Amino acid sequence: MNMVLADWSIDGATAMHAWAIATAATVAAACALVGTLLVVRRMSLLGDAIGHAVLPGIAVAVLVGGRPGSPLVFAAAVATGLLTVWLTRLVRSAGGLADDAGTGVVFTTLFALGVVIVTAAASRVDIDPSCLLYGILELVPFDTVSIGGVEVPRGFVSAAIVLAVLAAAAIATWKLQVFTAFDADAARAAGVPVAAVTGGLLAATALATVAGFEVVGAVLVVAMLVVPAAAAELLVRRLHHMALVAMVLAIVGACLGYLAAWRWNASAAGMIAVVLGIEYAAAVVLAPDDGLVARGLGRLRYAWRVLCEDRLAAVWRAEEKGTAAAVPVSLVQRLAVGWLWLTGRFVGPAGRLALSPAGRREAEMVVRSHRLWEAWLGQHAQLPLDHLHPPAEWVEHHLGAAMRQRIEAEVGGIGDPHGSEIPPEA
Amino acid sequence: MPTPTRQSRLPGRLPQEADVADAGSSAPPVVEFHDVTVAYGGRPVLWNVDLTIAEPCLFGIIGPNGAGKSTLLKSALGLVPLVHGTARFWGRPLAEVRGRVGYVPQRETVDWDFPVSVTDVVLMGTYGRLGWFRRPGSRERSLARECLDRVGLIDVADRQIGRLSGGQQQRVFLARALAQEADVYFLDEPMAGVDARSQEQIFGVLAGLRSEGRLVVVVHHDLRTAAAWFDRVALIDMRLVATGPTAEVLTPDNLRRTYAGQVDLLQEIGQAVAARGRTP
Repeated sequence: MNMVLADWSIDGATAMHAWAIATAATVAAACALVGTLLVVRRMSLLGDAIGHAVLPGIAVAVLVGGRPGSPLVFAAAVATGLLTVWLTRLVRSAGGLADDAGTGVVFTTLFALGVVIVTAAASRVDIDPSCLLYGILELVPFDTVSIGGVEVPRGFVSAAIVLAVLAAAAIATWKLQVFTAFDADAARAAGVPVAAVTGGLLAATALATVAGFEVVGAVLVVAMLVVPAAAAELLVRRLHHMALVAMVLAIVGACLGYLAAWRWNASAAGMIAVVLGIEYAAAVVLAPDDGLVARGLGRLRYAWRVLCEDRLAAVWRAEEKGTAAAVPVSLVQRLAVGWLWLTGRFVGPAGRLALSPAGRREAEMVVRSHRLWEAWLGQHAQLPLDHLHPPAEWVEHHLGAAMRQRIEAEVGGIGDPHGSEIPPEA
Repeated sequence: MPTPTRQSRLPGRLPQEADVADAGSSAPPVVEFHDVTVAYGGRPVLWNVDLTIAEPCLFGIIGPNGAGKSTLLKSALGLVPLVHGTARFWGRPLAEVRGRVGYVPQRETVDWDFPVSVTDVVLMGTYGRLGWFRRPGSRERSLARECLDRVGLIDVADRQIGRLSGGQQQRVFLARALAQEADVYFLDEPMAGVDARSQEQIFGVLAGLRSEGRLVVVVHHDLRTAAAWFDRVALIDMRLVATGPTAEVLTPDNLRRTYAGQVDLLQEIGQAVAARGRTP
């Protein structure tokens, strides 16, 4: 094969790389589509199990003369995949094992059986055990079939067929997959053939896994099944969006991973899995609602609002008492005052700041919230007076106009328990 | 998947029922459990239940924890295998009338972080009718909006279900069942962990279903509200203790038999059956 490689011109080599990338991207997309359903059904481990356990099926199919990537090999792999699930259930009920332990027993045993078959028949079968573990993506372009006069890598053809079949099946039965994944009991009660739907998903897992086997190997195919889907789950809120985003992430990961492996002369399969992992980490950091950045920004924004509202309320209270407001001491408090001045809620020269009409309204609502909450607590929780201030200091930043009205209606126009007046709603 | 059908093990009984129906002397009961026994892993948890609900009403299934209330519902819906006995609707097996029987499972049985919107969940109620390949269309969408309106959730139609309160989640489940447009509804603990306002709203919807001539069967644990809400009840404690109009059934004597009855005995026998052994 290396001799063949040397003969390729630059353009030919580029074409070879393009085919490898296309194959990797196709496989990754197929795995991500199936993986989406596995991840939301908490069945990722089963995907892992099937990924390993199909090996004896493939080995036997190759032994009896099937070519890698041929329909016979795919059929054998799907059959072994379903056998894995059935055996797992058998081991669970017969051996009394927990679900995860049962899966662990079955898939390692089957994978080991596959390794034994492959190594024992190594002289007769053209399977390299290390290829099964790491894949042979770099060699995929050299095993071609002629389609309409164009030499197309066999691995790409089988991956494309698998992707097309899975996509068609997903589009046709998506609603049943969603219903079963979300609420299997209600689906069964509504007449959804839950066993067939789940069986279909498992067969799809086996298909995607076998396609991935050849490209990234038995271990890293799990990354393709699980990682893009897990990242997509962080980014979007609807299952079909999740499937689409997972497929895009998988394709991007496959392309970038291959190019990086090419650049640094590393294992393409390994690099693809690493890039997928980086994508996941990026999703954890950048996810729109629950990402680290979004949560950090949310916390900062809240802290800033509390700071500003406290400054406004402090000046309002000082005015009420007829004393001078406490001078802000910390740097952030000065910053807050500066911001309030810039946004027109304080007016006047530095050192003698006063509330603008807008600032006064805002301050009054904070003080109103504070005193209403003290009144409510005093009435409902029978707390001693010195217990009322701290919770009110907290809750004052969280009450909206409607809630203030409700509380006011409940406490019935009585004053603040400390004897201060409650400002009216703006 | 072939839907599980439950053939009567008592063939002599069936023609008799059919004769009655043919004669027109009385319509077959909406739901009829006949000698239903259910076992989990070989251990019987529900023994020989005979329960007939003749007409549409609000029907409560009441009993202590572990009494087999949910199991009784599931046995009618084909969700648990019957050791023996039959559950029939209008005298027919479930497989023939599945679309007319709606089910609201316990709220805790699903993952509420699942990536679907409120409307997505309600639309699931129409999937049984749509079959394998048809997608929900405009009729289904407007029906889903109607059902959401009925349970007071139209404002959160596009929200992800994990962002709802417990009471709202329960009402989403109810809306999904409404979208099925069934004639019989089975609800498993719809009031559990639900705020008082949602409870009132749910009860209002259930009462509305009854006034439309539908049967509503509710597994319920709260005796105080049971007396006010249900027309008829069944007291269950691993076996049927009593059934009939609520006021006649919820007597101190029946309650004592339900909540401190023969459970220990039935449990011990059940364990012996599971172990293929003998009780002491």
